[in-house]
Amino acid sequence: MKSLTPDVMVTSLGQVGGILAVIVVAVVVLELILYFLLKKILHYRYALPFMLIAPGLVGLILLNVYPIAYELYIAFSNMNLLRFRNPSHSLAIGWENLKSVFTAPVLKQQYFFPVFLRTMLWTGIQVFFHVSLGLFLAILLNRPMKLRGLYRTLLVVPWALPQVVASLAWRGEFNFEYGFLNVMLTRIGLQAIQWKSNPFWNFTAMNITNIWLGVPFMAVILLGGLQSLSKSYYEAAEMDGARPWKQFSSITLPLIKPIMTPAIVLGVIWTFNNFNVPFFINENNLETSDILVTALFRAAFDFNRYGFSAMFAMVIFLILFGITIVYMKAVSFSPSALAGSKARETLTVGEEK
Amino acid sequence: MKTKSRFYRFFNRSVGDSPAKRVVIHFVLIIACIISIYPALRVFSVSIRPGNRVLSTDLAIIPAGATFEAYASVVRDKDFLLWIWNSFFITITTSAIGVIIASTSAYGFSRWSFPGRNAGLIALLMTQMIPAPMLMIPLYILAYKLGLINTWRGLVIAYSVSTIPFSIWILKGYYDTIPIELEQSAMIDGASRMGAFYRIVLPLSAPSLAIAFLFNFTSAWNEFLLARIMLQKKEMLTWTLGLRQIQGQFQTQWAEFSAAAIMISVPVMILFFLSSKWLVSGLTLGSVKE
Amino acid sequence: MKKWVCVFLALAVLAGGLFAKGGVEAPKGPVKIALWTQEGESEGSFQFVKKLADAYTALYPNITFDVLNKETEALRQDFLAASLAGSAPDLVLTVNDHAGPFSVADVIQPVDSLFDLKLYLPSAAAIGSKTWGVPVSSGNHLMLLFNKDMVKTAPKDTDELISVGKTLTTGGKYAIVWNQTEPFWLVPWLGGFGGSVFDKDGVTPTLNTKAMVDTLQFLYDLKSKYAITPKEADYATMDTLFKEGKSAMLINGDWSLGDYSKALGDKLGIAPIPMVSATKKWPAPYTSGKYFMIPKSVTGDTLKAVVAFINFYTNYENQIDMAKTLSRLPALRKATADEYVKNNPVLRGSTSQLVLGTPMPAALEMRCNWDAMKPELNAVLAGTKSAADAAKAMQDAAVACLKTIQ
Repeated sequence: MKSLTPDVMVTSLGQVGGILAVIVVAVVVLELILYFLLKKILHYRYALPFMLIAPGLVGLILLNVYPIAYELYIAFSNMNLLRFRNPSHSLAIGWENLKSVFTAPVLKQQYFFPVFLRTMLWTGIQVFFHVSLGLFLAILLNRPMKLRGLYRTLLVVPWALPQVVASLAWRGEFNFEYGFLNVMLTRIGLQAIQWKSNPFWNFTAMNITNIWLGVPFMAVILLGGLQSLSKSYYEAAEMDGARPWKQFSSITLPLIKPIMTPAIVLGVIWTFNNFNVPFFINENNLETSDILVTALFRAAFDFNRYGFSAMFAMVIFLILFGITIVYMKAVSFSPSALAGSKARETLTVGEEK
Repeated sequence: MKTKSRFYRFFNRSVGDSPAKRVVIHFVLIIACIISIYPALRVFSVSIRPGNRVLSTDLAIIPAGATFEAYASVVRDKDFLLWIWNSFFITITTSAIGVIIASTSAYGFSRWSFPGRNAGLIALLMTQMIPAPMLMIPLYILAYKLGLINTWRGLVIAYSVSTIPFSIWILKGYYDTIPIELEQSAMIDGASRMGAFYRIVLPLSAPSLAIAFLFNFTSAWNEFLLARIMLQKKEMLTWTLGLRQIQGQFQTQWAEFSAAAIMISVPVMILFFLSSKWLVSGLTLGSVKE
Repeated sequence: MKKWVCVFLALAVLAGGLFAKGGVEAPKGPVKIALWTQEGESEGSFQFVKKLADAYTALYPNITFDVLNKETEALRQDFLAASLAGSAPDLVLTVNDHAGPFSVADVIQPVDSLFDLKLYLPSAAAIGSKTWGVPVSSGNHLMLLFNKDMVKTAPKDTDELISVGKTLTTGGKYAIVWNQTEPFWLVPWLGGFGGSVFDKDGVTPTLNTKAMVDTLQFLYDLKSKYAITPKEADYATMDTLFKEGKSAMLINGDWSLGDYSKALGDKLGIAPIPMVSATKKWPAPYTSGKYFMIPKSVTGDTLKAVVAFINFYTNYENQIDMAKTLSRLPALRKATADEYVKNNPVLRGSTSQLVLGTPMPAALEMRCNWDAMKPELNAVLAGTKSAADAAKAMQDAAVACLKTIQ
């Protein structure tokens, strides 16, 4: 094509080579500094692990700390279009913003709590279906059968497809005249559904799309879990005369809990903050289909309420954080103690004593 | 030998499944597969439909008068190959860097119980909780101040770093399932700590490394917001930005858009299928291997 | 013949240059202009912008361009973010209502002193006493398009629309379709019922009026009582229905004329949206166009180059070229009197609607109106709200929105 010449390719590779060299040098320098500091000077017991995590840590701090700090700064200001370049900052303004998040409409008419409840409902429905359908598929696939490879390949398509393509595809399917769903409904004699303009059906549409998108991921994880379960448990249970449902609830579920729990935690976080699906399926910008992150986006970019939306973002973040911590405590999930790691407490291997 | 209960057989290896049950299972799976791929097939059918029409009540996957003209037009008249090239080398580079950094970091988290470890893991989790659009303006300012706008540098750094948290989680989960005795015996034989890592743990973690690479690839390949901030030149667009060019404010060349959408899905799908055998075993966020 | 064309071209360029205010010459030193435009490739307009940029570089090799297309919303957000970061582009070619947010945020400069605006039709990027954008084309307005195979002439008023419509809506076909999801398609009818979104001061919303209630009711009736239009239709749907010959009439804008001309050839008819029988008023679609806006940070040689380029872009010859290539009406007064513009059937039909239109407000407050109207319009058409309730809700939402942008 006209623009892709060897010239262009060489330039871009050159630039990338340049930055790679810079990264390598920076990492080496960082490691040397840490080495001398931690090991030679301080004789720190945990010198090596810190050296290992240092490059990633530094990168994450660079990428995340400045933006978060900036947003925090803006959250305490009244920045919008009128006060674009020179907003005023103060604790009082920040407090006002915080109050407005809860007392004033966050969209044009919707207040915080309805949107929050809807977000929880959305997350709950999604995780429930992801896990149950994922487990169902995983169980079906957990057996030697012909075509298993083919099934696994095809069932992963929703996950492999870029979200842009998937959103486009599903938006088309919810079209009143031409979408697959309405065409099928009318062919069997039912009334076509107004997916785009009716609040209830639009919310349903969002859910259908995200279930389609999210089940493969969960199915794969659970299949991995199921495959690692040893048959001996079931054989022992058989011999003890345990009934089918008891086997499932006493053996299968508890044993795959260590795999399900992190998957559910991640699923909750990703679904709660899922922007693409609610945004794109909600073609008519129905406020009744907005969840917290889409409302945040509109506040920030449609209405240019930068100060307010920065505070709003903080609130959303803290809520999600709170939910995650509560859930993890409730299922006694500890990030450092994943399953089978009783041996983890005796981590040290000799030289670190 | 006692006959296995139906339940046992259902939830475990299919010893002695009745043919009827097998048929039912296959039937259910086939339905699931159709549901999985149908929307993608519809996008495909738009791409080969003549006359720039995105919608049609004709449910046939292959419409009448199907033509691949849209594909040719996208490659010929738009900078499609350039976009693919840009996306491709950025994605490969950042995925590789991300996996390398994450693999060593995850080892640190897995094998040592250092102070701040739990906090660190939670902090990694927290990075997933930040609503992305909020970071747009500060990232723009940061990128401008560091002179990263319109360079590949900025994007490489940003993408590599943003994939690290999730990669660490996956890799750490996998390392946790590798018995520490293996490294211990290697060290007794004289290997250094990191030597044991390179020679024993890494090779064993190949499935997980592949999956981490796959995830990094997918997220960088599909990324849009950061690219929009950093890339302001026509020659420097990735496909996510390029695709927007085919969308007008009201009018869109739907056939071209769908053709481009199908074509950009191909690399990711291929990567998925190539690594599918590792998908199940490598994606352990934790397991029960004893 | 070629010789005369060359002479004419040379004279035109010369004339264009002479007419520029203050005779601003292009600077001599090297200048790189980063131009962001909302003009897309699929409408053919991006290619046109690029063509003129390249032509200018051919005339003045020291001035080069970096032309980038950004989708409308992305353009607005990114331009604001870039301005805040200090890395704004040098020139923006976009829709008129971006002038509202950009002028309030103080990131663009007024153009009154840089150009002789009397040469152009009134700019819809004028807010209050200042003009923020130089017009490049006129239009962006909705009009009635019809398929001559299905209906010979366009209905003159809404009574005729309904009666003809009933005969046309049979066998899975519809009489008329429009984009039911966007309030842009509502405002012409609002004008037809004698209403307006703003009060005379141009900033106070007046959405809860009898005219609005009548408009909403009328739109709802078209699909429920008279049933001459589909229950749900967004842009893609109406476009497809019309192209497939499943709808006799369509309300769409001048940007789509090129595409429909290609699809329907001379079966395409253009007419003003039918007069509202109840009020005997013509519907007044919003007219605007595309505008060059100059970021505040542009000064010195770059500013000179930008001004000179804008003059080149909007000179007589290029305006006619635009009319021919994009089927858009020119903004330069002299060009609107040109033979081609007067005689080309598509442009003539477009003009007949344009003269009945009203300039689209560019004030920042307009955003509140759009956002207030959209969900209520959707609710009325979905049958979940009555027209009266919706009008009141619109007004409340607009007023609440105005508070938040203070």
